[in-house]
Amino acid sequence: MLHAVLLAAAFVVQGSAPAPKPAPAPDLSDPEVAHVAVTANAIDIDLAKYALTRTRNAEVRQFANTMITDHSAVNQQAAALAGRLGVTPADNQVSQSLLAGAAQARGSLESLRGAAFDRAYLDREIGYHQAVLDAIDGLLVPTTDNAELKKLLTDVRPAIAAHLAHAKQLRGNLGSQTGSR
Amino acid sequence: VRWVLLLPLAACAAGGGAPAARVHLVEMREMAFHPETLTVHPGDTVVWVNKDIVPHSATASSGSATWDTGNLAQAATGRYVAQQPGTIDYTCTLHPLMQATLIIKE
Repeated sequence: MLHAVLLAAAFVVQGSAPAPKPAPAPDLSDPEVAHVAVTANAIDIDLAKYALTRTRNAEVRQFANTMITDHSAVNQQAAALAGRLGVTPADNQVSQSLLAGAAQARGSLESLRGAAFDRAYLDREIGYHQAVLDAIDGLLVPTTDNAELKKLLTDVRPAIAAHLAHAKQLRGNLGSQTGSR
Repeated sequence: VRWVLLLPLAACAAGGGAPAARVHLVEMREMAFHPETLTVHPGDTVVWVNKDIVPHSATASSGSATWDTGNLAQAATGRYVAQQPGTIDYTCTLHPLMQATLIIKE
């Protein structure tokens, strides 16, 4: 269950990458899981920075800045936990998959401009954060035995829920069109 | 524990005949301010402490008073000494859905 929990932390910091599914956690070693977290964090920061270069909407910019700030803070917690557990990150297929997914997501955003970009970015954030909440509630917390890991998940959850509510509010302000239009 | 140390200082600042100034603690916890509405007197000190993993601020968003604690990391604190009576809404600039009210009355 350690792997599943750290993977959840990794997904949390991934930002606008495709929504994770609450599928069984891959059989990764602790060093590989740590690498996933580090990779996901880098992806999130890079994509949020990219969004900041593309949007002129002040509220979307604020949201992107918050994603960078918050997910960086979460990643620091995940890194601290990995450190306490003596984990040294090691590259793996999940990290590579995350990078490939991020590249694909960024590619889809690159073709959009203005409000269409903002809608697509927020749509992705809504789907992503909802999926993470579902995974935390339905899989990770109920099946985690380690008290420290369970606390990490419990502490992260309100921030994810707030991000989801924030993204939904902003998305509502942008109208009913889908992001791809 | 910084807010605890503020208590005697605030009391001294209140002066001889005036009621002793108090220190009020507001927790930033689970993406909300606790308490959400706080009533204080001029000279009282409000101290915010961040109990969440993610950073927060307490930033005035209405009324004549202006204060901004800046981003407070986990376990960090910020403070504001209440001044003119009035009702001041404030928010977290990082999480605008976090909203609360500070009431200052004589």
